[in-house]
Amino acid sequence: MSQERALYDAIIVGAGISGSFMAYRLSAAGMKCLVVEAGKSFSRHSYPRKEIDANSQLYWAGGIELNSDCTIGFLRPKAVGGGSIVNQALVDRFDDIALDSWREVSGVAFFTVEAMAPWYEMAEGELSIQYIPKEYWNKNAEIFRRGFDNNGYQWAPLRRAQRDCRYQDGNDCIECLAGCRIDSKQSMPVTVLKKALAAGAELVSECEVVEVLEANGQTTVRGIHSGGREALFRSKILVLAAGAIGNVKLLLSSGFERVLPALGKGFYTHPQYMNLALYDEPINAHKGPFQSLKSADMNFRKSGFKLENVYAPPVGLAMLIPGFGKAHQRTMKSISHLACIEVAVRDTNPGRIRVGRAGRLLIDKRLNAEDRARRERGLAAVRNIFLSTGAKKIIEGDIGIGLHLMGGCNMGCDPARSVVSPEFRLHGYRNVFAADSSVFPNAPGINPSLTVMALSLMGAEQVLKAARS
Amino acid sequence: MSTSRHLSPTQLKGLLKVGDVLVPGLGGLPPFSASHAAGEADRMFDYMNEADREGLKRVLFLLRFLPRWLLRLIFFVATHHRLFPGPLGAAFRMLNIGVKGCVMTLYYSDLTPDGAIYREIGWDAKIVEREGAPGEAASVPSAAREGERPFLGPKRPTPKEAFERARSGRASLSRLTLEERAKHLRELSRVILRRREEIVERIQADTGKSRLDALVSEVFGALDCLQWLSSHGKRALRERRVHTPWTLMGKRSLIWFEPLGTVLVISPWNYPFYQAIVPIASAFLAGNTVVYKPSEWTPLEGLIEDCLLEAQFAPNWVQIVYGDGSVGRELIEERPDKVFFTGSTRTGRSVLAQAAPLLVPVELELGGKDPMVVFEDANIERAAAGAAWGAFTNTGQSCTSVERLYVQEAIYEPLKKALLEEVRRIRQGVDRDGNAEIGAMTTDFQVAIVRRHVEDARAKGARFLCGQDWDGSSRMIPPIVVEDVTDEMLLCREETFGPVLPLFKFRSEEEAVELANKSPYGLSASVWSKDLERARRVAARIVTGNVSINNVMVTEGNPALPFGGTKESGFGRYKGEQGLHSFCNVKSVMIDRDSGKIEANWYPYTREKYLLFGALIEHLFRGGPLSFFRFALTGLKLEGYCKRAREGYRNRAR
Repeated sequence: MSQERALYDAIIVGAGISGSFMAYRLSAAGMKCLVVEAGKSFSRHSYPRKEIDANSQLYWAGGIELNSDCTIGFLRPKAVGGGSIVNQALVDRFDDIALDSWREVSGVAFFTVEAMAPWYEMAEGELSIQYIPKEYWNKNAEIFRRGFDNNGYQWAPLRRAQRDCRYQDGNDCIECLAGCRIDSKQSMPVTVLKKALAAGAELVSECEVVEVLEANGQTTVRGIHSGGREALFRSKILVLAAGAIGNVKLLLSSGFERVLPALGKGFYTHPQYMNLALYDEPINAHKGPFQSLKSADMNFRKSGFKLENVYAPPVGLAMLIPGFGKAHQRTMKSISHLACIEVAVRDTNPGRIRVGRAGRLLIDKRLNAEDRARRERGLAAVRNIFLSTGAKKIIEGDIGIGLHLMGGCNMGCDPARSVVSPEFRLHGYRNVFAADSSVFPNAPGINPSLTVMALSLMGAEQVLKAARS
Repeated sequence: MSTSRHLSPTQLKGLLKVGDVLVPGLGGLPPFSASHAAGEADRMFDYMNEADREGLKRVLFLLRFLPRWLLRLIFFVATHHRLFPGPLGAAFRMLNIGVKGCVMTLYYSDLTPDGAIYREIGWDAKIVEREGAPGEAASVPSAAREGERPFLGPKRPTPKEAFERARSGRASLSRLTLEERAKHLRELSRVILRRREEIVERIQADTGKSRLDALVSEVFGALDCLQWLSSHGKRALRERRVHTPWTLMGKRSLIWFEPLGTVLVISPWNYPFYQAIVPIASAFLAGNTVVYKPSEWTPLEGLIEDCLLEAQFAPNWVQIVYGDGSVGRELIEERPDKVFFTGSTRTGRSVLAQAAPLLVPVELELGGKDPMVVFEDANIERAAAGAAWGAFTNTGQSCTSVERLYVQEAIYEPLKKALLEEVRRIRQGVDRDGNAEIGAMTTDFQVAIVRRHVEDARAKGARFLCGQDWDGSSRMIPPIVVEDVTDEMLLCREETFGPVLPLFKFRSEEEAVELANKSPYGLSASVWSKDLERARRVAARIVTGNVSINNVMVTEGNPALPFGGTKESGFGRYKGEQGLHSFCNVKSVMIDRDSGKIEANWYPYTREKYLLFGALIEHLFRGGPLSFFRFALTGLKLEGYCKRAREGYRNRAR
């Protein structure tokens, strides 16, 4: 057992998107920062190549965590860089529908398109953001576009945080769901975290923070290294950036629910349902930039869902295709003839994250009647798109996937109903901050990563203000 | 043999066994056990949570001892986990995700040395890693963000674009089942139900009708029709099997109700919501995409689209084009597969004329001058109340309004008195609360027509019993009742389409029928009498599309009844089963077996065949006790002969 004795200005738990932005801003302003991350540090040379290793090594619990009735599987990234390693790097600003509803439930005044704009601008400035050139759209995108046009739905090109995917080399971006091997994807280790480390931030990886203590204006963080060795770190300020599940689990394990009654409630996840369609002609949905377009239909938005033109590698597909045996293998043999559209539900029914006996994570998250109706509406549109483009057969995936893990430490003005204040402080704590996806007041229905960046930049300002005083 | 630090030999065997059930191998794809994947299990088990790992190990141990058929059964049931509520369903899902996940992860990660599995399933995703600086970093150009403006609804389509969109909408609509289309109508019902107050307000704003008129005749009427369509209507569109005659024995005769394609619906201003929803829904249920043109006077701008979108109609299925008659003409020019027109006889005539050279089928729902015939044995109070409502509902702007009231001599005076009392109680206003019987007229040009009719009648000596104080220009035309109306007056000949009711006297049943039929129109009528026998007799003799007995305008109240006119009131039927079929290509289908058999009536023709056919016809149609037997016998003989004749014919061909 060893003990690190240095007193940091700030400790940041989690080296994902929020943690990286925080570390960068705080270090650049001269604060002595430590980032503690449970996951491993990978580089483009060391990312796992096989799906089995990617799932095991880049996600918590060896790949997937389930809700209590096993209807939704959560994919919770665990690596230096967090979600930015494994995501599709979609960077969209929130619209007034999302922000108005946030303002309404949280009472936080800065949730407006105008007030958020400069922060979005600043976040976008840290990344290279591109649209996929039309000549590289694959057949899956073509079906998406044609199906939308046939039915009169509106689509738009997709904005992606990437630098140079070298499509001319024949690169298939689906490989980069296990980390981008050509450092084109704007993952934190090649962008913001790199700057943070250059500005003096320290990073400890493979160390899971299991407990935090706040006393006398000082915080103590207890971590366990991958080998089982315990470590204690101390700082004036603590920033929680371990995501919805990570933050909640840590705070519950540290006894914070006594002060924060809303802790762990208000968990949202945009449950996603993959739908595959079989075509006579080859689709090769996995080739090239496998996601080029997005739905931009105002009626979809109003109806509470969006459609994503995605695909999955073989293990993912094998899991999502219902059934087993020869029929299942026959479908697997036709994966180059499958197109895919996913329904992402803007969920309204809040879930709850709890910690049970022996520190076991329990996630209650269900779809209520409204959420199911939203999924059904999305499915109806997917069917229209597939059928109008000549699909022979539609396979509707029945496992919900939770990729966007949001809430649990909802931001709000009322300490009885929220966890984090509009100053990004935990209610009742002067020195504990959070600005990651766990503070989302509800499900926005839009990919969260750009907003996590914007909120982290806003949060960092508050931390700096606190540090100066 | 595979080994594992986590799994005991028994557990490994369990993994192999269940692996082969889930992945038995197919063609070039090896079975799980032959893929050597199990030996790599630690790559996954190393990273699992302790509890998950132990649970999975216990399950694998158990599975080792279950027979394969039971494993298959378990996973078959697990695939249908949704049928099981609560913890049981959860357990099946857990099993599915845990065990199937484990097997699929090991297998489809393709851990074979030569990549055999990826090759077999056609997975060839790759990244070309090369050294060298990545290309120019491109930050978001602000111009690119321009393209990201939120979508604010599609642009208003031109007639040409509307038809292009509607036609491309057929790609998905044609693949929807009848049940799925019905489901969209049920969803539409829910939307209308929820938004009904807003809808009522929009209708009032565009039409000026009373609130209760808007609610009952438009919202209620539309919901009623939607309900009928999505339940009974659905049945009317199912494949139907019909009788096949003996001479065609062995074949099946079917009727398919297929969509026509893209239907153009042009609606009038008197019921802008009902007349949008009901024809659109009918044509849609039959599988058509629709281009809809509302009246330029009552467009209810954006409302219909909004309701349809909320009910998850794909935007291309129903196109709404706004504009006046010139837009209507442009739309017909696009050659819809059918025009469904509701409106005035004059416009109907020009629609038909324009469509004729294009050979576009047209259905016309036009005006009326509907008679109400009251016999002396009818209940006077009920008849008077019915007449008042029938004449003045929607301020008289219904094609089936009562525009001629015929009363048998003996009760003329008492009925007139009761009617006038009834009319005096009517309150007029574009109310907010439902407390007004009639509202305003919708358009000034209709007000002008009413004025012309009223002035003409006054000039020719008609007597005004009430409503004489109307200034001749206000849209708030009060109920007007007139008597001493003669054949020469416009009020008697043309459709007034306003709250004006002329009263006539008749003596006999014969005269009543003659008077009722003395009109170029024939849309609907009503007959009032305690003697139902007589009422039915008269109803049968009136030339009209719809008739109510002891009630008024009530046939429209039942969505199962077809609606349409005779004479100058138009032709064709909508609503009810016949109405649905009028939006269909009613396709006749006969199905025969594929065989070497040659039909008797095909070639060759010979003298002998002629004689046998003659006999067959004789027995088939003459009737008599033994004729069927003789017919059957001749049939067999004919069949035998044909076979032989065919042989000869083939030689002849050579």
